[in-house]
Amino acid sequence: MMENCLDIGTIQAFVDGELDHGQSARVSAHAAICNACSLMLAEADDQSALVFSALDREFNTLVPTQRLWNKINDSIVTERESRPFWQKAYAFLTVALVNPSFAAAASLLIVIGIFSALWINRTPDTANITRTDLPNTQPVQQISPATLSATRDSSAVPDNESTATPAPTYRVERAAFRPEPRRIVSQPAAITASVTNSTGYMPGEESYVKTISSLAKTVEEQKDGGIMRPSERIAYERDMAVVNDSIVKMRQEVKRNPRNESAKQVLYSSYQNKIDLLNSVTQKEDLLVSLK
Amino acid sequence: MTKIIEKLISFIAVAIILAGVPLLVLSQQRPPATHAPPDVLIGVPKKGLYERPYVGERDTSEKSIKADSQIIVELCVNQGKVKVNGWNRAEARVYVSDGNKFVFNVREKSAKTGDPNWVKVIGSDTSKGMYPKGECISANEIDIDVPINATINLRGHEITTDIDSVRKVEIKIAGGQISLRNIANGITAYAGQGGITVEASTGPMLLDSTNGNIVIFEARPAELGDIFRAKTTGGTISLQGLEHRQVEASSISGSVVYGGQIRNGGSYSLTTNKGSIRMSLAINASFQMQATYRAGNFNSELPIKLQTENIQEGPIKTIVGKLGTGDASIKLTTNNGSISIRKL
Repeated sequence: MMENCLDIGTIQAFVDGELDHGQSARVSAHAAICNACSLMLAEADDQSALVFSALDREFNTLVPTQRLWNKINDSIVTERESRPFWQKAYAFLTVALVNPSFAAAASLLIVIGIFSALWINRTPDTANITRTDLPNTQPVQQISPATLSATRDSSAVPDNESTATPAPTYRVERAAFRPEPRRIVSQPAAITASVTNSTGYMPGEESYVKTISSLAKTVEEQKDGGIMRPSERIAYERDMAVVNDSIVKMRQEVKRNPRNESAKQVLYSSYQNKIDLLNSVTQKEDLLVSLK
Repeated sequence: MTKIIEKLISFIAVAIILAGVPLLVLSQQRPPATHAPPDVLIGVPKKGLYERPYVGERDTSEKSIKADSQIIVELCVNQGKVKVNGWNRAEARVYVSDGNKFVFNVREKSAKTGDPNWVKVIGSDTSKGMYPKGECISANEIDIDVPINATINLRGHEITTDIDSVRKVEIKIAGGQISLRNIANGITAYAGQGGITVEASTGPMLLDSTNGNIVIFEARPAELGDIFRAKTTGGTISLQGLEHRQVEASSISGSVVYGGQIRNGGSYSLTTNKGSIRMSLAINASFQMQATYRAGNFNSELPIKLQTENIQEGPIKTIVGKLGTGDASIKLTTNNGSISIRKL
């Protein structure tokens, strides 16, 4: 027996499906390598099967248990928390606009807002700008470059003339400025390719991972739907733990030595096994549905 | 003056928005707590996936139909023992003991003979309405006799199946044992929770079990190129007297055992993730072998000439060797187990 063997409470909770996903995975992984615990697991499974068969009629009456309600409520809370902000806002508006008073008030607010925006951002009158100069300012003279250079070179212009001229006062007007829309420039292909390479997958591995990912989603829904008996569930989790363990070890080995063809072969074989294992659940589900 | 008006309008607009939105939010009625039972019960086991259907009044009946020699017989069985036997008559007979009634549904007739060459056996409801809806038969025992060249297409729930002396079998059951004997031209079998045994059969074979063992005694190809593929997740695969040239056997947490000839030009792939691989081969066999294992060992009683051994560093060990002229190719892979080759 190993030091960190499972206690009977944990095993029973595992058989009853009361552990969360992480704990279940840990129990499965441990049971896969510990004979004593797998024996205890099998015994607990047998006992559960006996009890389940005796209570089969009660279990099949479709009366949701308290545990089920807790699960439902938990999943509702989780779903609410994980919902993005825009969905919440959309839901709020959808519900709120049903109320006529709210709709009227919202419309009023929108009208006021639009009116205010138009008023504040109205286009400035260019003619008015030129005439807003104060009366004592000099009219602007067009100076040619030649005149300008001559003026610079000439020292005949008395200094007191410029100093005597009163400094013009200017009124600051809001400029009608609109930023140019940002142009999105597509990244060069080389950069994209380097990102793809940086995912760390070996050639061909990504397709396995994607297939497994999509299958796993389906299977996670199906296996909690009563398709598997406790004994089948244990066997499934055990086999999954074996395959996952193999994948992890082989990936480490391939990462350490990318030229190790044998490790790659075992890794791909393990991926294929995982796909087969996941497929076995969907295949069974399909068969049972076709028999209904 | 204009500036003052502008500021005033801006202030009013902002004040209305700031004050109005919270007031409107507060004025909304809060929706009632939605912890009432939803229409669809999430997580409730689907009723009846493993539930034995209510059969009600049981009956014993027998029916027969004239049949083409290459008839396809299709049926679905919910529970019971199914026994199919081939005979030398142009007739199909179905005997149901202690089960629901059934009818023959003729799907197609032969253009040559005019006899049915595709028949579906369908469970029928009684006038009392006590039998389960659907096409599946529930019975204690179902005996079927069909022409020896018939094809059997069987789907089942929890059944024990025994099929003997027919041309072809396609079977898919959720649980129970499958035994097949003297099948002439191919087998496709899937057992969700149970084993598959094949004996003295020929043709391509695709055998798939989830948690059962797969056992083969004497199987050979009907044509060149017929493949043999056996796959189980948690069971052992035992192949004895297999003569196919293309053999693939894989298990996840079970052992793979092979005993018999190695055909010239054949390709043999035996794989397991957690289990041992044992081969018993004749001393005069000729093959090129690659054995890959991680935790375990390799031993051979045959004088295999090693070509390379563990050329890569790391936990994975690979042995490449050759016996005779190396006509066949054998690939043995186990992640956690030993590989052994013995004399037959």
